[in-house]
Amino acid sequence: MDNLQSKYNLKSPGVKRLMREAMELAEPTEEYHACPLEDNLFEWHFTVRGPPGTEFDGGLYHGRILLPTQYPMQPPNIILLTPNGRFEVNKKICLSISGYHPESWQPSWSIRTALLALIAFMPTPAAGTVGSLDYTPDERKTLARKSKNFVCHVCGSVTDKLAENKGHRLGGNTLTAEESTLLKQISLKGEEDNSRLQEKREEAAPTELVAESRPVDSEECVETVVRERLVHEENAVEEPLIDNHDSLLQVSIQRSNRDRVWSAVIWAIISMITLLVIRRFFFL
Amino acid sequence: MSEKLELSGEQTHQEGQINQDELILQQQRQIQQEISESTPLVGELELISSLNAEYSNDEIYMQKVKDLASKYKFIRRTRPDGNCFFRGFSYGYIEKLLSNKNEFKTFYTLAENSKSSLVELGFPQFTVEDFYDTFMEVLKRISDMPTLEDAKRELHQLFNEQGYSDYMVVYLRLLTSGQLQREKDFYSCFIEGNRTVIDFCHQEVEPMYKESDHIHIMAACSAMNTGVRVVYMDRGNSKQVTEHDLPEGSTPYVHLLYRPGHYDILYPN
Repeated sequence: MDNLQSKYNLKSPGVKRLMREAMELAEPTEEYHACPLEDNLFEWHFTVRGPPGTEFDGGLYHGRILLPTQYPMQPPNIILLTPNGRFEVNKKICLSISGYHPESWQPSWSIRTALLALIAFMPTPAAGTVGSLDYTPDERKTLARKSKNFVCHVCGSVTDKLAENKGHRLGGNTLTAEESTLLKQISLKGEEDNSRLQEKREEAAPTELVAESRPVDSEECVETVVRERLVHEENAVEEPLIDNHDSLLQVSIQRSNRDRVWSAVIWAIISMITLLVIRRFFFL
Repeated sequence: MSEKLELSGEQTHQEGQINQDELILQQQRQIQQEISESTPLVGELELISSLNAEYSNDEIYMQKVKDLASKYKFIRRTRPDGNCFFRGFSYGYIEKLLSNKNEFKTFYTLAENSKSSLVELGFPQFTVEDFYDTFMEVLKRISDMPTLEDAKRELHQLFNEQGYSDYMVVYLRLLTSGQLQREKDFYSCFIEGNRTVIDFCHQEVEPMYKESDHIHIMAACSAMNTGVRVVYMDRGNSKQVTEHDLPEGSTPYVHLLYRPGHYDILYPN
């Protein structure tokens, strides 16, 4: 924090606000924790606990929060890094009022609101919205179990990020009636924009590091490598998938990425064949 | 395999639609950016006749500008970003208050007490406090200036600093929302569609960049305990501009020029 204080213009209301929020959220709760990166007040990392009594129960989900320079006039973007089966990973999702325009973010909401909304929104049906995934409960449970092994290249292991779980419901005593009503109105939606590809490329480097820094004896490790390659490199699909007992998980991981990759590969092959045929006819 | 192909086909179709939306959004963003780069948040005083340049070939408007010039001397333009009413109104109101120490003091006390009533209505204390602190800081910095001229300069400077200026807008939006909710029985008859006052506040008042209507103006004036005269100028047939005092029957303290979709500040002769 001291480092940050010297770097930013503390007179700017936006910076002051983020400092206040960092202070408010400094102490981890049972459900969520978030803090700014050491060198960037406008990027935070967070961990949330999967809501109890749902298929995310027991899961720990880690991600990034990107704050626009105009924050809090404009909404924060949430990016989940832990595969969860509800939201795509490495993709911006943002808050709005359910069934209303995406620009209905309110400056009186905060990062805390965003995190509470994320937790509350996880068990809601994906219903085909952008950035949503519709995995089966079993797939999500498997992912929840595996989520504890996730290692962030900045924050390390996620297992000690939250306060001890005493099995309270979301918010415990700290959630006011108004907040609960508010949370019911908020929805999260993926942002479909051109920077998405760029975002993925940006992600590619650090996530490779994650895979490398993880213990080699774990089956998880290999899986992460495969998973990341599937997301970031199209040619990964041509490599045989590593033998894995958990075929369910494999299928689920690939589902969101494979169709697109396959069609690209098919089109590439078709155009190659067409080219070769044309060449044979006209040039030989 | 055929199933897979079908799936990917559907996906492309969906993406096509999304890209359309995205294009529109992108264009909107670009337009907004162009607007913000070309207009200051709150401009300098300009003569009413400067409006003529915008309507040089339009008889109806020229006539109305002439009528406007008989009642008003100056116009101060605001950035058309959807916040123009809130920004223009708060600027105009504070500027007017500066010339009367007692009225400024009364307003200062009203502002000081406003936070607790918002928190009572259920607004999140943590963030309301943030906006309130900045709102009060601005009022204090302006009132601490030794001369009226310095105070006006400080006001103008703060309202053109995006951070402070937007914070003023947010707090006034919150005060307006609070007023609507406190008197929801009265305001509910002005709300179109099947929405409650609270829905309306969440969707049309509290988010930034949402344009203001009569109902916003009435509630904002009640919250600040003042009145506004809105002077309408459009391509309607009458030769004169039309005036509306809000809330009805109040003494206008701030004068605003309304042209469809936008408010600027007016200064009477």
